[in-house]
Amino acid sequence: MKSKMTALTQGLIRCHDCGCLSKQADKNRLCPLCGDRLHPRIPNSFQRTAALLLSAFCLYIPANIFPIMTITSLGVGEPHTIIGGIIELLNSNMVPIALLVLVASILVPLLKLLGISLLLLNVHYRWQAHAKKWTILYRIIAFVGRWSMLDIFMISILVSLVDMGGVAQVIAGPAATAFAAVVVLTMFAAKNFDPRLLWDNQR
Amino acid sequence: MDDSKHNLNIKPRNMTEIDFTACPECDLLLNPAAPDVGDKAHCPRCGYLLQRPRKQSVERTFALSIAGLILMFPANLMPLVGIKILGNTKDGTLWSGVVALFEEHLWGVAVLVFLSSIVFPLLNIILSLLISAHLYFNKPNRYLASWMRWLQHMDEWAMLEVYMLGIIVACVKLASTSELKFGFGLYAFVALLIIAGMLATSLDKVLFWRQIGQLRKEK
Repeated sequence: MKSKMTALTQGLIRCHDCGCLSKQADKNRLCPLCGDRLHPRIPNSFQRTAALLLSAFCLYIPANIFPIMTITSLGVGEPHTIIGGIIELLNSNMVPIALLVLVASILVPLLKLLGISLLLLNVHYRWQAHAKKWTILYRIIAFVGRWSMLDIFMISILVSLVDMGGVAQVIAGPAATAFAAVVVLTMFAAKNFDPRLLWDNQR
Repeated sequence: MDDSKHNLNIKPRNMTEIDFTACPECDLLLNPAAPDVGDKAHCPRCGYLLQRPRKQSVERTFALSIAGLILMFPANLMPLVGIKILGNTKDGTLWSGVVALFEEHLWGVAVLVFLSSIVFPLLNIILSLLISAHLYFNKPNRYLASWMRWLQHMDEWAMLEVYMLGIIVACVKLASTSELKFGFGLYAFVALLIIAGMLATSLDKVLFWRQIGQLRKEK
């Protein structure tokens, strides 16, 4: 019984921003406290999340096959991809850093893409079991999202520091834009996903 | 008190006031919890952290945001890391990273780095300062609620700690081939990072919204 008493079933709307409750009858008005629009759920949450997720999936491919940066020293050097950079770190015996980059730029984006897809499947097919575990998955995805920016920041630092013409130079590659777009799109996708949809079909 | 949880005939005392809250992640209707300082209030159904009151939340936020604003200047203007390769030296600041990306025509990435490492951290601190100052001096302002909303939305886009990790990884990559030297800006940056972290934990959103609501009523 208790689990059914959600704000929505009791005819109330929780404001997304300030958390104050309004009555459903007021849904065309603005929140009395913060002035935000009132919606019982994030509007079109499923469609928005799915659209952002699909774009992120598309950009994930160029992000991984194109070179992310080129390091030249004394005129020699070749472009390498995200994975290539990790292999290079491994070869030069920097295993902890290689693992860090592996987690931040390969595992985390992959986890986010697959995780958000699973959340969407859950909502679409109304899998009712383990709503709490699904919510935890959502929280992990939302928390972990920003850490993928690690690679982008690292490139930005390397590009500005190692800029000495023929002696040594780091040039960022086209994959940087694609990768940054993947990170931003998945962050927006997670933000647009409404975790309350996971709980709405509870019996 | 506790009985009302099981007896949810919602009859607000007056039309605008409703004595319940709802969990933002599972929409469960709850009695407003009032945990003591140091305790946490979790949603009983999904485990969401509803509130974690801090001692003197407004005062601490006010003080920390002033400290953060001061640290913003050295952290942004002074060199973070310097490098020396075969006699050539070069200093890097937050801004030079953005400019370098721009010069390589990666304007999208440059804008993203600019926003997440400079603009949003700065706005975050300025908004915290504005809001906590108004609450501290009990001054109503009609933009308070909008500021608070913006602050909540830009929270996750200020990525100082991720940038710090980026600096560490870049330094490890460069350490084998070149001489590195850490500038004063880096120390200011680390201090700013710590302040920003403390700011995030000291700012009690539930309390802030409640106080904003009270200020509005008084007006």
